[in-house]
Amino acid sequence: MDIMFLKFLNICTCLLKRLSCNSVEKKIYINLNETFPCVRLLNATHQIGCQSSLSGDVGVLHLLESEENLDWVLRTGPNPPYMVILESTLFTRPILMKLKNGSSRVAGVLAVQPTSNPPEGFSPHTSCPNENTGVYSETYGPSYAHCNVTMWNPLGTGISYEEFDFPIFSVKDDNDTEVIRRCYMEHNRAVNGSTPQYPLCAMQLMSHMAAVTDTATCMRRNAPTFSLAPDGVCDPLGDANIWASTKPLNSSTKGHKDGVSVVIAATKLDSRSFFFDVAPGADSAATGLVALLAAASALHNATAELNRTILYTFFNGETFDYIGSSRMVYDMAKNDFTVDLDNIHSILEVGQVALGPDSRLWLHSDPVSKRNSSVNVETLVSNLQAAAAGLNLSLGEPNVTQPLPPSSFQRFLLERPIPGVVIENHQTSFTNKYYQSMFDNAEYLKLNYPPNLTPEEQLELVTDSAKALTEVATTVARGLYLQAGGELAQMSRIQADSELVSKMLYTFLVRVNNSWFDQLVKSDWTGVLSELMLYEINTSERKVKTTEPALMVQCILANLTGSIANITEGNCQDKKMDKDENMNKDIYSYLWVQGPVRPNSTERDSFCVRSLVRQSKALSPAFELSEYTSKNYSTWAESRWSAIKGRIFLVASHDLEMLTLGVGVGVLLMSLLLTYIVSSKADILFSSGREPTNATY
Amino acid sequence: MNLERLPNEEKLTLCRKYYLGGFAFLPFLWLVNVVWFFREAFIKPAYTEQLQIKTYVQRSAVGLLLWVAVLTTWITIFQHFRAQWGEVGDSLSFTIPRGTP
Repeated sequence: MDIMFLKFLNICTCLLKRLSCNSVEKKIYINLNETFPCVRLLNATHQIGCQSSLSGDVGVLHLLESEENLDWVLRTGPNPPYMVILESTLFTRPILMKLKNGSSRVAGVLAVQPTSNPPEGFSPHTSCPNENTGVYSETYGPSYAHCNVTMWNPLGTGISYEEFDFPIFSVKDDNDTEVIRRCYMEHNRAVNGSTPQYPLCAMQLMSHMAAVTDTATCMRRNAPTFSLAPDGVCDPLGDANIWASTKPLNSSTKGHKDGVSVVIAATKLDSRSFFFDVAPGADSAATGLVALLAAASALHNATAELNRTILYTFFNGETFDYIGSSRMVYDMAKNDFTVDLDNIHSILEVGQVALGPDSRLWLHSDPVSKRNSSVNVETLVSNLQAAAAGLNLSLGEPNVTQPLPPSSFQRFLLERPIPGVVIENHQTSFTNKYYQSMFDNAEYLKLNYPPNLTPEEQLELVTDSAKALTEVATTVARGLYLQAGGELAQMSRIQADSELVSKMLYTFLVRVNNSWFDQLVKSDWTGVLSELMLYEINTSERKVKTTEPALMVQCILANLTGSIANITEGNCQDKKMDKDENMNKDIYSYLWVQGPVRPNSTERDSFCVRSLVRQSKALSPAFELSEYTSKNYSTWAESRWSAIKGRIFLVASHDLEMLTLGVGVGVLLMSLLLTYIVSSKADILFSSGREPTNATY
Repeated sequence: MNLERLPNEEKLTLCRKYYLGGFAFLPFLWLVNVVWFFREAFIKPAYTEQLQIKTYVQRSAVGLLLWVAVLTTWITIFQHFRAQWGEVGDSLSFTIPRGTP
């Protein structure tokens, strides 16, 4: 009783941190703080990514010095399995493939992120992105299919789409990584050919993935026949597309709308990398996104009198076989969207538009549909070139007959031949050296903010890249204006704002928590925005959850294209309108925005924004139709996992462990034997001698 | 229950009950029958009911061996081939391991 009370007291005081506690666990293990694992993704036919065993894989640390040093790990090293530490220069396809083949001796890989981007480029994506779900196939432009004419991503190694049966984690190069390197240097280094002696430094990485084989199997196992409490194993990839129109469209009536002619301005807002939750996507997604947002802001006041409506669409999930655009096209074809495919006049897609030193942009179009005389791409091209007149960039059409680059426009072409153009910064192959990798970040776009500035000053600074992107945004805005029926003479008053472009680039690529974005965000936003914005398409759990990038775009677009409505907070959020607004309920959407901070106070002047911005579900039609082996639609799903962590510790030799176990078992047997002997001879050993008499004293 | 204290007729009834009960897809009753009455049937000196008890024990042993053979075969096949059977394998399983096929 007393001992229990003391223990209880000890724990209490330990928890209150009055006394310093000596936890045995802290003396043995050092936990890795910020790790980015590689996770398992599945599609109709394959599983990709990494898997660890249920309680983590343990291996002796080895810092790989060169590709020849792999021999130590794969053949000659005396203490397999090894946990290989790869510096960024060695994180290449040949080394990873060799580790994959020798995986019985490899317990896992730790990749150290470099402090600056590798100059020679790095792209873990495939060299022909989305080749099976684009428009080019055996039936449509067969000579253009599978990147026969132009290899879009020549630096692509395809390691993001390989399968590894050991965990691969990525860590930043900071103090924790120094601790790991020091542990290796002190204990594991083989000096002058001698084998390192136990105890050795080891690492355990845990990233057990629940799903296996392919999407059909994992979706079937999400709901097994006999289970009492089914525990899901995977989730389909899905999120929300954001779209907005320049003229009010009644969203409660779906299908064809008579007399409505729509020009779609499309871009994508997601990207990926080899590791989970690291996907800055600066050139591949952010530039196009920011350019289109700035164009929407520039066109805000000029579109009311135009013939055609401009529909801004921000597609989510394009990296994984066009999830968002395939879903929107599917909805349009099924008459489940506000407009349908016959309402579309033309499509302008903004792709990767980070300007290089020559300030050239290229207008890609589809050679197969252009042969059809009803498809008029020339007007769109000439409108865009007129739009770029007088600006600091030049537009051109590629002088090679080549297919469209991977773009959402291809999914529209699968249904109808529609005239359209994709604006990119590359004539043939991508100029982006870091396509779909963790290095496609602010540094690549040369957003160089001097480190001595405060975050507020950095927000206000307009970099040269921002100025260049503003030119692109102005071109897009003017081109859309002309395409939607605007007058050439009126075009010059449309101008994108470079400060706006700079602030948006800062928000998406450097830091989300800044004063400009705080004003625009919804006031009841419970999500915690991380420091660096991450563009990964989210996994849905049967109902689509909109993640931060899509919500950010929705908030920004609503504020840029909407107007302030005189509605109270309760009515704005519950969409209970008074008589004047009531008829607008189906047409407009309302957002209660935080607003600016009042001076000398922490209160904010919140207000209601009325805009035409809406969300639409971006879940692949394959999951709606339950066709999990579909070849036409994206079938990507992400596995679930329980814990992802890593830790390092010293490990003793196997012989010492066996010796300890043997001694323990021996002690147990000895004690059993001794107890038996004593018990059987008890009457001799514990004889009490003479019986005590009954005398009382 | 100590069989020493039972009269022989009751031992016979008990053995018969276990023998008949095992036919209701309960091979463990036959196992208990064999183990419990083994000494009674084969080692003890002869008494009137012992012949009947002996037949019951022998038949229980035969039934038990049959069950063991069938179950071992089925369990081996299932454990080996469940992953390859895909949907059929999953519909036959109560608990499907996570992370492995």
